[in-house]
Amino acid sequence: MPIPNLLRLIYRNTRVNTDPGSLIILLGLPALYLVFFGFGFQSLAGAAAGGKSYLAYLTPGIMAFQAVMAGTVGGSMLWADRRYGMLAQLLVGPFTRLQYLLGIMFTSVLFGLGGAVVMLALASLLVGAGTVTLIGAGVMLGTIALGSIFFGSLMLLVSALVKSNNAYNSIQILVIFVVNFASTVFYPLSSGLPLAIQVLFHLNPLTYVADAVRGAYFSQLTPTEGWQVLVLAGETVVVLYLAIRAYMRSDVSME
Amino acid sequence: MTGRLASTAQATPAQAPVLEVKDLHHSYDGKREALQGVSFTIRRGEVFGLLGKNGAGKSTLIKVMTTLLRPTQGSLRVLGMDPARDGQRIRRRIGVVQQGESFDFTTVQGNLDIYGILWGIPKEERERRRDALIQRFGLEDLRKRRSFDLSGGQKRRVQVAREFMHDMDILFLDEPTVGLDVIMRRSLLDSIRGEVSRGLTVVFTTHNLEEADYLCDRIAVIDGGKILVLDSLENLKRLYGGKRTMEITLGAGDAPGYFQALKTRLGPTDSLTVEDRSGILLTDEPKHALSLLVELSQKQAIQIEWLNIRKNTLEDVFLHSVEPGGQTHADP
Repeated sequence: MPIPNLLRLIYRNTRVNTDPGSLIILLGLPALYLVFFGFGFQSLAGAAAGGKSYLAYLTPGIMAFQAVMAGTVGGSMLWADRRYGMLAQLLVGPFTRLQYLLGIMFTSVLFGLGGAVVMLALASLLVGAGTVTLIGAGVMLGTIALGSIFFGSLMLLVSALVKSNNAYNSIQILVIFVVNFASTVFYPLSSGLPLAIQVLFHLNPLTYVADAVRGAYFSQLTPTEGWQVLVLAGETVVVLYLAIRAYMRSDVSME
Repeated sequence: MTGRLASTAQATPAQAPVLEVKDLHHSYDGKREALQGVSFTIRRGEVFGLLGKNGAGKSTLIKVMTTLLRPTQGSLRVLGMDPARDGQRIRRRIGVVQQGESFDFTTVQGNLDIYGILWGIPKEERERRRDALIQRFGLEDLRKRRSFDLSGGQKRRVQVAREFMHDMDILFLDEPTVGLDVIMRRSLLDSIRGEVSRGLTVVFTTHNLEEADYLCDRIAVIDGGKILVLDSLENLKRLYGGKRTMEITLGAGDAPGYFQALKTRLGPTDSLTVEDRSGILLTDEPKHALSLLVELSQKQAIQIEWLNIRKNTLEDVFLHSVEPGGQTHADP
């Protein structure tokens, strides 16, 4: 039976983007956050983490962070394919533009989920295995998948609009930094934070991903996380629409 | 490798046009007209050469024919299908080697392998083709090297080899021999000839006239988005091969006046291109032209410093076609 086009594209995207260099960024960076921040801030952050060990508190945050990393991989795929001619080559092959886009999206989701599972496994070695319920696991995976689509769309939008390599890299670094540190990945949202930063936390979709994953990880899901996921889904639809629009109108190469 | 090629090719009857281009226009952003009413047809098994300067419209035409760009006006049928409606079906039956680089971040072998997977070639067949192509294109020593680390010519070889991983009815080659050494270039052209003998149709853009001469059945000279000359190589040689090219350089004196006087006395089929004190005259009456040159030299008291008379080549046809006011001859 012939393999559908979409699966072939996902295979190609996965194979091309799992070279050692990419894996070090994709998994190594979050793993280093988990180990160094987890142990380093353990003594300082005990109280803020609500009585849990900071390493345990950080684990779901880092799992959520995989959605951002997966998104940047998705954006970089389109960027590199435009820059190095493969987008034009694929589009004179048996694929449609939509199939190509879906191929990137599904690959981003795979990377987000795979990375989160690796972080969970690493955390289990460091703090011991937790007890995640089946529903909790579903919420975790679903939210991370949704987050991967959101951040994948955001970075696709950037890579469809930006034409300079330096500009793309700078925007990517800025997005990772702001999204990562203005969220509940590393620390909880506290009323002691300046108002502007609190607002930024609330606007940041990674906060919703991190809160939902954390709630599921500690089996402490509340309706708030449910609403957050709904808002995230709405934001994802909007950003995905904008990304598709920009991508469909963009040049296939940078000649 | 050619089994499926032959079977798909049979779907289009021999001598039936596989490409029909009628009054094709394309403009970028509605402003810059890259194609201005291009028309021709290409039959199965034909090698069709597109010659032109940089920016003449060759690559835009290839992009339109391969469904990457939409024509802004005119009609196009590829393998009997309309690209606006059947783009994906068309793309399943064509191969394209683009002018620019296009690689995945992996080894030479990996690039061929991934391409085979993308085209849905079963594993055993894929590996057989990959190894045969690596052999045929002299890539054995480069097999494990990363594509981006290769030289320009090596990359080009990989790009062309990769396209043969899948079957096709039409192969579009946009300047495929750029950067190749003489041996590799000839080997590539021979490979293409071999595929053509098995029914493949080839559309080929090049700056290299020797290549066009070696490979093409028909040639179109394109400039400013228009086809200036289109005919079989034999006809072009018959039409222009009888002509002579006279290259002339004048000494001190009124060179513009000399060339102006010369122009007024040339025959209707002659053409003259002037640059500073030199001129290139294309004529089918070299004896008459020679006496004219000498006569004018005496009348205008200007010395002919250098004169060369030679048989016309494809290069002359090309040069005279793309010069302003040059000849046009199209037989689509």
